[in-house]
Amino acid sequence: MRLLVRSARNSLGGVTLAQATALVLPVVIVAQAQPSRYAILLVTALLSTLIWEAVFAALRKYPFSFHGLTTALIFVVMIPPTLPLWQLVLMLSLGVILGELIFGGRGYGFINPAVVALCLLVFSFPQVQLPPASQSLALAVVPGAVWLLLLGLISARVIAGTVLGIVGLMFLGGTGVHILTIGTALGFGLIFLICDPTGAAATNPGRWIYGVLAGGLIILFSGGQNPTADSVVFAAITASVFAPLIDHLVVLGHAKWRGVAHG
Amino acid sequence: MPNSAAFIGADYPRLRPVFKLSEGDTVTAGQTVFRDRTRPRIAFVAPISGTISQIAYGPHHTLSLCSITRDANAPEPGARPPTDDLSESNVRETLLTSGMWPALRSRPFGRVPDPDARAAAIFVTATQLSPLAPDPHLVIAQQAQAFAHGMSVLTHLTAGPVHVCQSRQEALCAQTDQIKVTVFKGAMASGLAGTHVDRLHAVQSGHPVWTIGYQDVAAIGHLFMTGEYATHRVVSITGPGAQQPKLMRTCLGARLQDICADQNVEPQNAPPAQLMSGDEITGRASAYLGRFDQQVTLALKPEPLQRSGWRSRLFTRQGPMTPTMAIEQALAPNILPVPLLRALSVGDTDAARRLGVLALIEEDVAVLTRRCTSGADYGLLLRQVLDDLMDEGL
Repeated sequence: MRLLVRSARNSLGGVTLAQATALVLPVVIVAQAQPSRYAILLVTALLSTLIWEAVFAALRKYPFSFHGLTTALIFVVMIPPTLPLWQLVLMLSLGVILGELIFGGRGYGFINPAVVALCLLVFSFPQVQLPPASQSLALAVVPGAVWLLLLGLISARVIAGTVLGIVGLMFLGGTGVHILTIGTALGFGLIFLICDPTGAAATNPGRWIYGVLAGGLIILFSGGQNPTADSVVFAAITASVFAPLIDHLVVLGHAKWRGVAHG
Repeated sequence: MPNSAAFIGADYPRLRPVFKLSEGDTVTAGQTVFRDRTRPRIAFVAPISGTISQIAYGPHHTLSLCSITRDANAPEPGARPPTDDLSESNVRETLLTSGMWPALRSRPFGRVPDPDARAAAIFVTATQLSPLAPDPHLVIAQQAQAFAHGMSVLTHLTAGPVHVCQSRQEALCAQTDQIKVTVFKGAMASGLAGTHVDRLHAVQSGHPVWTIGYQDVAAIGHLFMTGEYATHRVVSITGPGAQQPKLMRTCLGARLQDICADQNVEPQNAPPAQLMSGDEITGRASAYLGRFDQQVTLALKPEPLQRSGWRSRLFTRQGPMTPTMAIEQALAPNILPVPLLRALSVGDTDAARRLGVLALIEEDVAVLTRRCTSGADYGLLLRQVLDDLMDEGL
């Protein structure tokens, strides 16, 4: 346990392991509806991400890593259980390669590979509908979210910013705000897609802006109604693309502020 | 008292010495051993009497190590007459010739300041960097008069303020128009001079500031009151390897093995300890006490790296940085840590300067080396960026 906490704070493998721990409960909750089907999906997903990691590790001659683990788990929780296996393999392969492996692996890219895979899935196969999140899934996310917050791997500012963006935009739009419905639809995607440290902004003011942007985009993409799974995925990828720009602007603003404050 | 003491090059970045003496020569405490090649008025004097046992150079003829072995037969050091003349030129001259000048460090760059340079402000670091470091209030209470006199000497070196940065509420010295007391509380970063400077002054604007430790201020007071070069310092012996953690009085640059000799009473039962000068985070493995350190840590030896073990493979500490909250709280509050670390790791001097790198030296970023997932040595990266900025003439 102490090893896990320590390595989660100061090694990349530890970060992945902590995220995977947080994902166990959501996976179990989702999988208990159709255990055998989800077992097949999980094994296929893990094989496809880890095989690509192994191929890139061999080609680029760096030590094998297991970061594809979390990508596979997030993907399996978000997809419909009826998804054909070839679509799962294709999309996850594209996701891990385009989202992280071509950049050099986890942490070098700027988007979460699971988000890339989910986006490509929804774009390429219009008949695929991401299932809405259940209340039990949202509840299952809570312990993992607390664990990641305690370890400092996700930022409370991003969470608060996103909620602020959603509630604010719905309020302005005159839609009734039902916190419980929003929480149910949002929970998993918020913690594992939007809050992902590699995809989110990396300065404290930037984290607020990134969160508000992601929250606003979720409502925009869901047509002013309660968040849908698709809208969370598209908001996550769009906000991640803007995250480096947000950080850059924060740095410029900060430098200017320093100049004014110190003369 | 230790049998041996040394100057360590790591304390004086880019210092190129010109030696007045060579290996085997006899020195008395307070006698000049070497001078700075580019600024020959800056003298470095021996902390103990004895013979010079080793002189070692680093790259580009910089100082690596100069050690002195104690000799019981060495002549007694002679004191200079005490001086009451506190005119600026005399204060500078006394500090330079007595060997007290290198107690000052200028920011940016963390080097010994030029003899004629003017500081926009002086920061006296009297914060307790780690909970196990000596309590500055306790140490100063024993030499209150010398500290107070040292403070008044410092006010003659600058037209700007002299900030006393401390951890506890009771002011360590009387406040005047020029002497200002500021209390810093909170995380470890609150004890670092880089945080104090960043909070109270802008180094970016091109006005350098100087920092000095509280024991050195007392030593300056002692020098002006008695004419003696004070070499004794109070340090704490701490760490998991220390059998009897304690405060002790020793001298500048003391050999750690000598002053920790009583710590491993049962060598066969005791775990092998790694001697570190400084605390466990900002300190470095060293055989001698660093010039600016007040703590000695007997750390446990790191486990040998198992190259083939699954643990070291999966938890390898080489790779990218993950922007975690642990990084967020490690630096001075006005600094954006993740962009700064990115700028440091790619050597982007412009970006690093915008982000406030000029207020920092190695000790300020030491904690990041432990907390970041990349495993990079940010102290080393910071020094490279500072060197580049210095070459650009900033």
